[in-house]
Amino acid sequence: MSDTVTAPIPSAAGRRRPLILAILAGVALALVLLGPLFLDRFSMNVLTRSMIYAILAITVDLLWGFTGILTFGQAAFFGIGAYASAMLLTHIGSSPALLGLALVLAIVVPVLLGVAVGWLSFYYGSTPIYATVISLVFPIVVTQLVYSGGTLTGSSSGLVGYFGLPFGLEGFFRLSGICLVAVAVAALVFVRSDAGRLLTAIRDNETRCAYLGLNTQRIKIALTATLAGVAGLAGFLYANASGVVAPENTGFVFGTELVVWTALGGRGTVLGPVLGTIGIDYLSANLSGELPFLWQLIVGALFVVMIIFLPNGLAALVTRFTRRGRSEVVAGGGPTLVPEKPLHHMKTASGPLLSIERLEKSYGSQKVLEDITLDVAPGELVSLVGPNGAGKTTMMRCLTDGKERSGGTVRIAGQDIAGMIPNQIVALGVGRKFQVASVFESMTVADCLRMSRAALEAPSFVTASDALGLPPAAIEILRLTGLDKLLATEVSLLSHGQKQSLELAMVVSLEPRLILLDEPTAGLTKTERTTIGAILKKLTSELGFAAILVEHDLDFVCDISSRIVVLHQGRLVLDGSVQEVVNSDIVKTIYSGGEHV
Amino acid sequence: MTLLLDIVTTAAILFIVSAGLLAIFGVLKIVNFAHGAWLTVGAYCAVVAGGLGLNPWLALPLAFAAGAVLGGVTERLIVRPLYARPLDAILATWGLGIVIGQLVTLWFGRDVQFTESLLPGTIHVLGTTYSLYRIFALGAAVVIGLGFAFLLEGTRLGLSARAIIMNEALARALGLDTARIRLVTFMIGTGLTALAGVLLTPLTSVDPTMGVAWLIGSFMLVMVAGSSFGALAVACLLFGGAQVLVSTFISPILGGITVAVLCALVLRISSKGFARV
Repeated sequence: MSDTVTAPIPSAAGRRRPLILAILAGVALALVLLGPLFLDRFSMNVLTRSMIYAILAITVDLLWGFTGILTFGQAAFFGIGAYASAMLLTHIGSSPALLGLALVLAIVVPVLLGVAVGWLSFYYGSTPIYATVISLVFPIVVTQLVYSGGTLTGSSSGLVGYFGLPFGLEGFFRLSGICLVAVAVAALVFVRSDAGRLLTAIRDNETRCAYLGLNTQRIKIALTATLAGVAGLAGFLYANASGVVAPENTGFVFGTELVVWTALGGRGTVLGPVLGTIGIDYLSANLSGELPFLWQLIVGALFVVMIIFLPNGLAALVTRFTRRGRSEVVAGGGPTLVPEKPLHHMKTASGPLLSIERLEKSYGSQKVLEDITLDVAPGELVSLVGPNGAGKTTMMRCLTDGKERSGGTVRIAGQDIAGMIPNQIVALGVGRKFQVASVFESMTVADCLRMSRAALEAPSFVTASDALGLPPAAIEILRLTGLDKLLATEVSLLSHGQKQSLELAMVVSLEPRLILLDEPTAGLTKTERTTIGAILKKLTSELGFAAILVEHDLDFVCDISSRIVVLHQGRLVLDGSVQEVVNSDIVKTIYSGGEHV
Repeated sequence: MTLLLDIVTTAAILFIVSAGLLAIFGVLKIVNFAHGAWLTVGAYCAVVAGGLGLNPWLALPLAFAAGAVLGGVTERLIVRPLYARPLDAILATWGLGIVIGQLVTLWFGRDVQFTESLLPGTIHVLGTTYSLYRIFALGAAVVIGLGFAFLLEGTRLGLSARAIIMNEALARALGLDTARIRLVTFMIGTGLTALAGVLLTPLTSVDPTMGVAWLIGSFMLVMVAGSSFGALAVACLLFGGAQVLVSTFISPILGGITVAVLCALVLRISSKGFARV
């Protein structure tokens, strides 16, 4: 609606982007098509290889630069694609049909292995370093299998002398170039699309993603498998263009080289790694004749310096000039907020929304929670109070992670959450706001909000939409806190209170039935506090959400709660209306520091 | 019988090679991917000692000193800025490994070097004739293991290091100079790795890329062992044993990946590995 009025600059840039990309792609295509007219044989040979490697660098960049998964494994998928092609062409033959089959195998086999590697690397609770470990082991295993493959794989001498695509030097140069441009364009379109923002969200804050109902493991496995297929395609090209495959093509040393090129070019930019790879590989080929060791020494030293002082690579120097606006608070701009009708995506259940029975949590012999029994109905705003260490946050954890508790049952809308992981519980209709605002620091306010809708409506892989559909309640939070004017601002520039409000808006955008809030007003000003209190009251009493609030500020609690539950030393000592709790002696004793009676 | 000796001595060699990496990872939570380069540096210390006509045993202290000094410089310049970015630390140390490898190549050439054997000959043990040096390696592993146990349990440095392992912020708040302890730990780790490089010279060929072959195995063992030398010893025995068995009965090539694959599987099942042992 008023998007052109309030925000001429960013949205115009948004619309100019496809045009720039198209021009860029056109120029690149012209270069690779006309290149053979100007280049000598040596350069053409080298650049064909460099461009194939650049395709791999893009896959490394998507995994590492955008998603934060440091991988050395792309070399192995590349090698598998190359070997699948070469083995088929060597041992069976090279008719056009078999060439087609080779192409299919070169993609399908890496994809299947990518699923396996992804399954091994990403599970609930796996660490980033573990994924890196697997990505190291995988190429080593593949290389050793190649070595032990005898005549099938050519062992240490590799495979040579098979007949691939009948293209000649110029043909392969052009083919590789076209593939590179196609992959680069696809990658650029994808990372700027709504779905592509998911990768950055996972890198920034995977926990938050899970608590937005996103199955991050599955996303990462899908990404790994897809990019394995792309690497396999590059392998197919390589096997055809070079006419030889060798064990080094699958190895982890090659995998580290890909990471070095990506890092030097600039991770997280797609174009940086492409230019870095082509530049370094081309220079290597030219210089390694004269100064073989010195050249590698320089690349290695440059890499170390870069990682320490310029972790975003050479591209960071460029974007520092072009993207200055990103590091400033942008007033106005961003997508248009569109109120959406509630999806009512969860079926209503009879009985209490949340039902806790004899909940228990212990660390060894130390019991943190014991014998907690509690029901919460829709429309209730239950405040959980108690001194530090009473077990309030632990209880919140037990409600959102089915593997957390040690005993008892927790049912949400009638369903036992035993063994469920956070994103499954979120799908039951639970939204959790953390004590310290958990948002995506390097993304804009609008992108953060978009992420909270990603689990409900599959985002587009191609376009970045100009509209942002949110439930009216979430839009109201944004309006009341002024965040609606900051949609295009990067989150890291927001104040503490703004981040808290943003997280609340994100949680409400999930359209949960039950909201868990861990000290939502800690560190906020009086005005901000009142605003949030009013919002919470409206969410529960008018819109029928249920909310559980952990809070220290008793005045605030008394103002907004419909019920108060008092925890002390891991036990539920009181559960009643505001009046009952305020006048109870137990609460006075606990809060004045006396012994538990 | 030979098989049993193979298993035990292989485990011992793995332990010697991994100990320095573990010391660094355990305390600093940083994976030193230049580990292979330090093994190489140590091995070339043996080459240099041989070239100067020194007693081959003198290469051991020489390598320890060279490794520690290089390690000190590395910690100060490369590792210290990266404590908050562990994945980047892996990359930066890998880059350093490339640099060291190329420097060694520039200096000594890329050909295989030969060193005087520390302990030639064989010995009769348990009814078979066996390489004297491998038996010595077993002893060296025990000495290194006990040395670390003493260092960790019996000295002030060890106490501080354990405090940092458990709770770095608290250790600093209690007035421990964590920066200095990290520096010293890193130096000990790299010194020990260079020493291990000397000990490897009679077993493998010495060339500028020799370290890389050992890097992955020891890296995986350390991942499984966490920060415990006891766990590392157990892991070396189990996985080294598996490696010997696979190499002997199935294929030496597959034996080469046994350690890495088994460690990866153990980590998939229990992300803490053997650290609780």
